[in-house]
Amino acid sequence: MSGGPYSYSYIFKYIIIGDMGVGKSCLLHQFTEKKFMADCPHTIGVEFGTRIIEVSGQKIKLQIWDTAGQERFRAVTRSYYRGAAGALMVYDITRRSTYNHLSSWLTDTRNLTNPSTVIFLIGNKCDLDGQRDVTYEEAKQFAEENGLMFVEASAKTGERVEEAFLETAKKIFQSIQDGRLDLNAAESGVQHKPSQTGRTTLSNDQQPNKDTCSC
Amino acid sequence: MDEILDEVGSPEELKKFEAIYNQQLEEHSVTTDATFNYAWSLVRSRYAADIRKGICLLETIFNEDREQTRRDCVYYLAIGYAKLKEYSKALQYTKAFLNLEPANLQVQSLDSTIRKRMEKEGLIGMALAGGAVLALGGLVTLGLALSKK
Repeated sequence: MSGGPYSYSYIFKYIIIGDMGVGKSCLLHQFTEKKFMADCPHTIGVEFGTRIIEVSGQKIKLQIWDTAGQERFRAVTRSYYRGAAGALMVYDITRRSTYNHLSSWLTDTRNLTNPSTVIFLIGNKCDLDGQRDVTYEEAKQFAEENGLMFVEASAKTGERVEEAFLETAKKIFQSIQDGRLDLNAAESGVQHKPSQTGRTTLSNDQQPNKDTCSC
Repeated sequence: MDEILDEVGSPEELKKFEAIYNQQLEEHSVTTDATFNYAWSLVRSRYAADIRKGICLLETIFNEDREQTRRDCVYYLAIGYAKLKEYSKALQYTKAFLNLEPANLQVQSLDSTIRKRMEKEGLIGMALAGGAVLALGGLVTLGLALSKK
């Protein structure tokens, strides 16, 4: 129960946002459980998942808040943006409307997080290339214009899902190293747990692949 | 999933949703959204009295509203009761939800988190004995209390 493979030195808070049905919960499930959830019901309010990863030899615990995409939850889910170190903003490459709404999601994110929050744009469902409604190039351009990191991924096949979560963590870690992200700031979204093994107080922490994500 | 039960919202946010709700009350036109948002922020409070008030509001919406909103209410009612450590009532709600949507992982996960907490706190036996009666009784009482307002 003490330390071992489940101890970690940092906690990063993430949020996942985007229109309903773009696959936010499925991306989280794929990342935490390495499984695809077919017929995923709409999330109620918020969901939570966690996984411990490693960046530059440091163990980092990701605490991921997956928000409901339905409009009626917007007021409620906005309160989870605060103090996020990473924001994964998701659209569906087969539904143009979900892409068109990105600027509104981005405005919310910029207004409710802090300047050091890393925003990663994910075009989900890239396994459905035949039904594509948004080109890679235009999304790439949107990302560049707004200073976002970007990949097209598939929660179904798992393609580039890890990459999105891990690259976000690397960027956050880099900001810490560069001193751009102030660990003492209340809303940095990062907690440092200096070399205390066995800091895993919750029973869930011992088993990051169980009970963590559900959709 | 413990985090869902342990997290608390900010007092400012609670005040914000309270103000919207109260204003609509004064204007005699309270929307389901305003009620739900206020109830939800009450359930996220660290104070038991707030959580109880949130539960009352959720039960009001549950009794009068559409199917979709009811689903959300049931979920947050389970969270509210679990936060008050009234686990048997909480499990009544997760069970009711899972009867309708057995494959819902979000609720399955909440259900198992509540069960683990109960087990940890040694309340399993008590729940089996009195759970159903308590939960039903509680609902009726609250329903009556609300209808008298």
